[in-house]
Amino acid sequence: MEPQVRIADLQRSSAPAFWVALKKNRVAYAFVLPALIVVGIVIIYPLFEVVITSFQRYNLLEVLTKGSSYIGLSNYVEILKDPEFWHSLWITTIFTAACVSLTIGAGLAIALLLNLEFPGYKVLSVAILLPWVMPRVASSILWKWIYDDQFGILNYLLSLLGFEDMSTFAWLAHSSSALWAVIIVVVWQSFPFIAVTLLAALQSISIEIYEAAKIDGASPWQRLRFITLPLLRNILGVLTVISTIWDFKAFDQMWVMTEGGPAGGTIILGIHTWMNAFAYLRMGRASALAVIMLLLVSAVTLIYLKLFNRGEE
Amino acid sequence: MAKVRLIKRNVPALLLIYLAAAIVFLVSVFPFFWMLSTSLKLPEDTFTSIPKLIPPQFTLENYRRAFNDTLLSRYFLNSIYVASVVTLACIILSAFAAYGFSRFRFPGRKFGLMFILCIQMLPSVVVIIPLFIVMRNFGLLNNHASLLVSYPTFTLPLCVWMLKGFFDGIPRELEEVALIDGCSIASAFFRVILPITLPGIAASGIYAFIGAWNEFLFAMTFLNSNQLYTMPVGLNAFFGQFTVEWNQLMAASVFFTIPSLVFFMLVRKYLAQGMVAGAIKG
Repeated sequence: MEPQVRIADLQRSSAPAFWVALKKNRVAYAFVLPALIVVGIVIIYPLFEVVITSFQRYNLLEVLTKGSSYIGLSNYVEILKDPEFWHSLWITTIFTAACVSLTIGAGLAIALLLNLEFPGYKVLSVAILLPWVMPRVASSILWKWIYDDQFGILNYLLSLLGFEDMSTFAWLAHSSSALWAVIIVVVWQSFPFIAVTLLAALQSISIEIYEAAKIDGASPWQRLRFITLPLLRNILGVLTVISTIWDFKAFDQMWVMTEGGPAGGTIILGIHTWMNAFAYLRMGRASALAVIMLLLVSAVTLIYLKLFNRGEE
Repeated sequence: MAKVRLIKRNVPALLLIYLAAAIVFLVSVFPFFWMLSTSLKLPEDTFTSIPKLIPPQFTLENYRRAFNDTLLSRYFLNSIYVASVVTLACIILSAFAAYGFSRFRFPGRKFGLMFILCIQMLPSVVVIIPLFIVMRNFGLLNNHASLLVSYPTFTLPLCVWMLKGFFDGIPRELEEVALIDGCSIASAFFRVILPITLPGIAASGIYAFIGAWNEFLFAMTFLNSNQLYTMPVGLNAFFGQFTVEWNQLMAASVFFTIPSLVFFMLVRKYLAQGMVAGAIKG
């Protein structure tokens, strides 16, 4: 195919560079463009639209009668003055930070454990996939049952361990415990992916390095600290960034388990935005919130792309 | 392969390892077991002050009632329909795109790939507001079409990256031979490459299916009639009723989890690909 393209290229050398490139690569574009066009329509157009709407007064109930009107930056100004927004941002920060650090910590610990290849490790490496496999809504419902104040198994186990006063504690009815209850569910569902990925990375480290270190008299702890962790640094970086984005986006578990309550105690930004749009029907305000979320995610994504491209080279 | 070998006689270390393994095992499996156990229990064995781990009397009544007294089978069919159509469309689009990205070097290639990677990072909440307005203008709200249009936003990127990985693994010589034999690029793609990549295509299709099967936010926002609900929205709506029938709800959840579980186990070995999109190499 290559020679033909070059002939076509020569014949059209007077055409503008853009068309030359397009024609030269037309086969490639024919393969790639359908998907990019679909993505463009379902993603780029909405993003464009959400930015426009964020500068408008757009109430879903009023839009048919009064229409929408441009109000400049008012939506943003109102958001920044709204204590509920700052509260929600704070909750989101705690939620994301806790989920990411617990997920990475548990994932790393379990990957190191599985890497020991003790008899039976294969059973465990399949068993840990279960939480990941469960649909998010199913696991949220299941954990709601586990957390049930009267008949939940968690409170029963706690009372067995001697925490008698916890035996009827309603985990999801108090704002601080509800947040941590959901964090645990999210961590429970996301640690397997981290563990599996880290295990794959661990197994690609050559055994010679460890043997050399052993001969030099390095303790297991020193081997972990000075060989394993430095070698995992890149992949840990990538996983931390991905987890941050995923947990920042988390919605389902929180919605099914608490709907942002009680008393706004678990109102992460996703839920705050959704409520503005579809419960209060303030589309303009919600769009501005969405743009703010978009900016936050983009900042983290830039870090991800940097790490990712470094990995490719 | 770095295998940190255990000194077999180091009994305390081995005990410690098994203790840790047992905890991890229980934490991973017990909730699932509890769901299954509750779904097979009679209500009078469920609401007791001392929980019964294993149902004293096994019953399928909860499953029967979940199917007969609720719209569960309706939700199930809706989910199957939406997830299948999305998967099919996604496979076709992403197979072409992934092949293009894998085999050709063209201006904008790197940008296109990074663009698709970034899309995976977008929170659904961000795109759902304008999509809602668009769906409303086109009269697609409360219609499965709204889901068919919006689900590729998260299934396509994953499939493109996964399949690109599979195509990258196939030597170029295969097509070169086909081209020399007089095949066109298109027929080389369909006759030579596609058959070899079939397992990869199946794997990425299954990922798309699981993604669509689990999706909750779009479905909850775009659909408002009980008849059209997909599984996640339908199950969550069970909470709207004044008493929560935990046994039935667990039976429905088991039923909801099983397709995901079965499919997932089929593609387990491909799971590293696509999810972190090659970052593992780094």
